[in-house]
Amino acid sequence: MSKSRRQENEISSSASIFASILPQEISGWKKSQQDQVYGRENIFDYIDGGGEIYLAYDFQFVFVREFAKGDAPMIVVEIYQMSSSEDAFGVFTQDTDGDDVKLGQGAIYAAGLLRFWQEKIFVRIMADKETPEAKSTVMKLGEMIAAATPQEGTRPGLISALPSEGLRPKSLRYFHTLISLNSHYFLASENIMALSPETQALLAQYEKENNRAKLLLVAYPSASQAEVACKQFAEIYLKANVQPEGKIQAKKLEDGRFSSITRKGRFLILILETEALPLCERLSQEISQKLEGQNS
Amino acid sequence: MRKTKKSKKIVTRRDFLKGAALGTLSIALYGKDRHLFAKTSGGAAAFGAENPQSTVVLIRNEKAIGAGDAINPAIVQEMIDAALKEFSGEQDAAKAWAKFIRSEDTVGVKFTRCGWMRVHTEQPVIDAIVKRVGEAGVARDRIIAQDGGMPFAKCTALINVPTVKVHTLTGIAVSLKNYINFAPEPSKYHAPSTNLGEIYLLPEVKGKTRLIIVDMLRPYFGPGPQINPLHRWNYHGIMIGTDPVAIDTVCLKICQVKRKLFKGEEWPITPPPEFISYADKNLKLGTSDPTKIKLVKLGWDKDVLI
Repeated sequence: MSKSRRQENEISSSASIFASILPQEISGWKKSQQDQVYGRENIFDYIDGGGEIYLAYDFQFVFVREFAKGDAPMIVVEIYQMSSSEDAFGVFTQDTDGDDVKLGQGAIYAAGLLRFWQEKIFVRIMADKETPEAKSTVMKLGEMIAAATPQEGTRPGLISALPSEGLRPKSLRYFHTLISLNSHYFLASENIMALSPETQALLAQYEKENNRAKLLLVAYPSASQAEVACKQFAEIYLKANVQPEGKIQAKKLEDGRFSSITRKGRFLILILETEALPLCERLSQEISQKLEGQNS
Repeated sequence: MRKTKKSKKIVTRRDFLKGAALGTLSIALYGKDRHLFAKTSGGAAAFGAENPQSTVVLIRNEKAIGAGDAINPAIVQEMIDAALKEFSGEQDAAKAWAKFIRSEDTVGVKFTRCGWMRVHTEQPVIDAIVKRVGEAGVARDRIIAQDGGMPFAKCTALINVPTVKVHTLTGIAVSLKNYINFAPEPSKYHAPSTNLGEIYLLPEVKGKTRLIIVDMLRPYFGPGPQINPLHRWNYHGIMIGTDPVAIDTVCLKICQVKRKLFKGEEWPITPPPEFISYADKNLKLGTSDPTKIKLVKLGWDKDVLI
């Protein structure tokens, strides 16, 4: 059997499980059309001009079921199957605005839209308009999917390198490539950090002693790749030379804030911006210490 | 700005902080606008040009949106008529429309109805335009109101009717982005999208756009890719002009201000919509310089943000 045929079969099998989890009817809302499934090859048929964000992760396919009920808002359930729990978490962090709710391994609700992740899936359930009845039904559907996905996935191990003190709630973003970085924080028009599907990156914001900092932590497959990216960032962005030990002095940016980069083996710690130089140095140092022994 | 070995310009965030990237468009993104908002000795004020290269009319009406986000068609019609009269300098709506549409035209009303993002041009906006184009003498079978599949080659006139969406790949989607499905390969213009404005210059599109009427009733300012309803707001606006670059620049500024208000801190639109300044500097489609744009504001002023 060819690889693509095998993948098609796997998608079909997984999609049928999702189809069986979801009801045909719930609280008067009925399945309104045939379920849809889109994989990496045809995601643009569903999200033309936005599918790139999912493809930047190890997205496998999305299962879609729509529910309608007379004049009530339409409800659309989307279940995104990823091949790793880390990337299910990553897609979930793309947009974290809303209220936390207890569901799956992390869930947010906002004005008719429920998002959560569990094991290797990311789920979006949206009512066209928020009504009390639609909200209740959206939540029920979410609970059904979470209950049918009993296993838990792991968050990216890289998160353990971040100090918890001062980390702003919901500021964490996990991704791999430039397109994701650019959707959160514009650093440069070219891939000066040499991000790729093989890199793991975390964006986070800190608030300590009335000072704020934005940081980017990147894990590369090898120290030599990290070294190349470090040099590029230093030369192109900071306009500075890298010392042999991989550290450079923090630089003052045009808005008066500071930025720095530190290499620790195959990891790069970038303080993208902070008002306070001591915070810049302290965060870099704390993360460096936490990364000790993680170079393998 | 630095260059790589292949001499490709690398624009960094620091270029924006310096105001060296995207020209004056930086002010819409990184707040480098204090000196521009204060009128200079030369008379240049952002969006207040006395001798403008482009004029844009923004009209807002509190009653345009009612309970449950229902759009009031009569109010929308009034808003479009009033804005067009102001833009054209005519006292009468029919005369104003006649300045842009001839009875012998075949008119394409290009709206947006993106199925997955769900920030559609509201039907009352489309209906109001189609009605007035018909009253201008254009036969109903020569008024083509459509999104995908618009037969633009056979149109002699186009009315660009976009919504306003902050977009995860292009930065923002307003009038320049609304023509993306006129391109033979639309996906080519998603990311990177510097040359999005080229579509305006395709032989079958060039010179046909008589009006841009932006549905700013309920814009979207969030990160995407899909909509988070929390990031949609009722702005109650309609914007009219003929310069797509100026219109996109004004909308960019409004969305940027809204994002800052929402977060309570800087939240720059990203990626920076480089295609707007490219359409100005390289394609000469209009101006992205706020000091060359005259923004005329009509109607409801509360939370106008600009």
